[in-house]
Amino acid sequence: MPHDPASRTTRESATGTPCDVIGTGTSGDGPRVTAMLRSAFITRTAQSLPGPPIDNDRMGAFIGSVSPASDRYGRLVLRQNRIRTRHYAIRPDGTSDWTVAGLGADALRLLLAGAEVDRRAIGFLATATTQNDLLVPGLASGVHAASGLPPVEIASLQSVCASAMMALKAAMLQVRAGEHRAAIALGAEFASRYFRPEQYIGTGTMDAQGALPADAEFLRWTLSDGAAALLVEDRPARTGLSFRIDWISLRSFADRFDPCMTGGGTRGQDGTLRPWSHHAGAVAAARAGAFQLRQDVDALHRMLPVWLGELMRLIDEGRVDPAGVDWFLCHFSAHSLRAEMVRMAERAGCMIPEDRWFTNLYEKGNVGAAALFLLLDDLLRSDRLRPGQRIVCAVPESGQCIMAYAGLTVVDGDAG
Amino acid sequence: MMTNDDPVAATHRGLARVWIDFESALVQVPVIARLVGGRLRIDDYRSLLRNLRQQVVEGGRWISRAAASFGPDHEDLRAMFVVHAAAEHRDYRLLERNYVVAGGTLEDIRSAHKNVGSEALSAFMYHSAAHPNPIGMLGAMFIIESLGNRLAGPWADRVAEQLDLPPDALTFLRYHAENDAGHMAEFDRAVALAATDATASATIVRHARVVARLYRLQLEELDNV
Repeated sequence: MPHDPASRTTRESATGTPCDVIGTGTSGDGPRVTAMLRSAFITRTAQSLPGPPIDNDRMGAFIGSVSPASDRYGRLVLRQNRIRTRHYAIRPDGTSDWTVAGLGADALRLLLAGAEVDRRAIGFLATATTQNDLLVPGLASGVHAASGLPPVEIASLQSVCASAMMALKAAMLQVRAGEHRAAIALGAEFASRYFRPEQYIGTGTMDAQGALPADAEFLRWTLSDGAAALLVEDRPARTGLSFRIDWISLRSFADRFDPCMTGGGTRGQDGTLRPWSHHAGAVAAARAGAFQLRQDVDALHRMLPVWLGELMRLIDEGRVDPAGVDWFLCHFSAHSLRAEMVRMAERAGCMIPEDRWFTNLYEKGNVGAAALFLLLDDLLRSDRLRPGQRIVCAVPESGQCIMAYAGLTVVDGDAG
Repeated sequence: MMTNDDPVAATHRGLARVWIDFESALVQVPVIARLVGGRLRIDDYRSLLRNLRQQVVEGGRWISRAAASFGPDHEDLRAMFVVHAAAEHRDYRLLERNYVVAGGTLEDIRSAHKNVGSEALSAFMYHSAAHPNPIGMLGAMFIIESLGNRLAGPWADRVAEQLDLPPDALTFLRYHAENDAGHMAEFDRAVALAATDATASATIVRHARVVARLYRLQLEELDNV
């Protein structure tokens, strides 16, 4: 099997699976220990996007019209993010047959339909989402229930986009530690249900003219629905290409940033967040606009240097060589942010050439915690991958500022 | 995996990382949190000027000392430091004038002691400047000039929004906002001369890291003399 001779040696373990002996090289964020670890591979990918692609002219019919002022702002946001089509799990009348768990379970069904392992071999299921169907229990329980899997270990990771990387890292570590030989990392989002006019009308968020503030409007025109899943195993797939997961780095900068994308609270005059539970009951919280997703767009721009700084750290640590990256999968929520990131990266001399960037944002929209897995699935199906190619994935999260990167290598099962 | 071996690029990347960490962490400093959060009082602004003055008054002197420490192999760097010292050595007078316009007295701002953070910062600057061929001082200058180039302008705007002050009370911040871009271009030329290998690069970045921390300490310790 392919391996990186510069940093590790590969041996056959007692059980016959490939293992890495971690030496003194860079080996993740934790303390450097000498231990026998297996490698982890993404052997299969799948996605479930509800309904047909919806273009910009028709999207208003699905999320509904709040006011003419709101629609005007929406057109401005669409010019900035350049998303042309996306998928919605709601019908134009606001009803739906889907849930977040249902979308996740559908991606999981498609994943296993094409996998080389039986569903009974799955030992671990990690889910990622921004907002679960229920406040309690976690999404992994809902997906497990809907999936038909026998009893498994689960983990429900809830944040925003970076929760996908948390789920993937959990799956990778479970496999590398030998706790499970096959694991699933899955991301699912059903944002559109929060963007219907009923969520805003009659709340304190809307002014007398029916306009919403920009921070409440922005995400209505940015986020959409879907799910995607990855199968993580301790060996590459026998046929077809797999991704070896070389490393995953995730860091929170909540020590220096206030919440920037929020749901479930309201902001006081002084800017402090008041959780919905601190209002006089759920009805008062709803009336105050607590159950709306909001994005402080200015704060997003202040986070960009920090996100890029993490890439510089990985370059300095020798984990990323910008010139040696074959595919750069950068999750970004808007084309304008991508453009600003490119400008900054060029100035700082850490630019990964733009012809290596792979994105599906313009066709599939921003599907939050499912976005990274959608990118990997589309890349694997693109027929553009060759064994040995290096992939760097980047997932910034505006929530309260997280930056996650992952390094993958394309491997051919036949060569393993 | 390969690493980027170009020492000039590595220096710029290292400095950018130090700066990003420094700038994003500044919001944890109480006076900066009040400044950017719209809760600044005139006492805060006067305190900021009074504390900065005690460090700025030393600026021209440590740059001159560093210039004197460059030997014959670094004449170009020495010349740059001499020019820079001449440009900066009366900066503190702007702070004094701003302080008086903002309601303070000349006697107060001139007689104040360095706060404990300024003491540490100043001591490190003179200590480093006295070493032969002190190229690490470029890292120190990077932090000081970046403060002017990137933060002085926004800070001046925030002060002007919150406090009823005439433009004459903001000339120190405005001067640096307008002039430090030129200083940064000069700085890039100096790095190209100084960062000749990985050791030189690491020295410059390490000095930037130390100065960034000590500058933050200075802001954290306002009036703790």
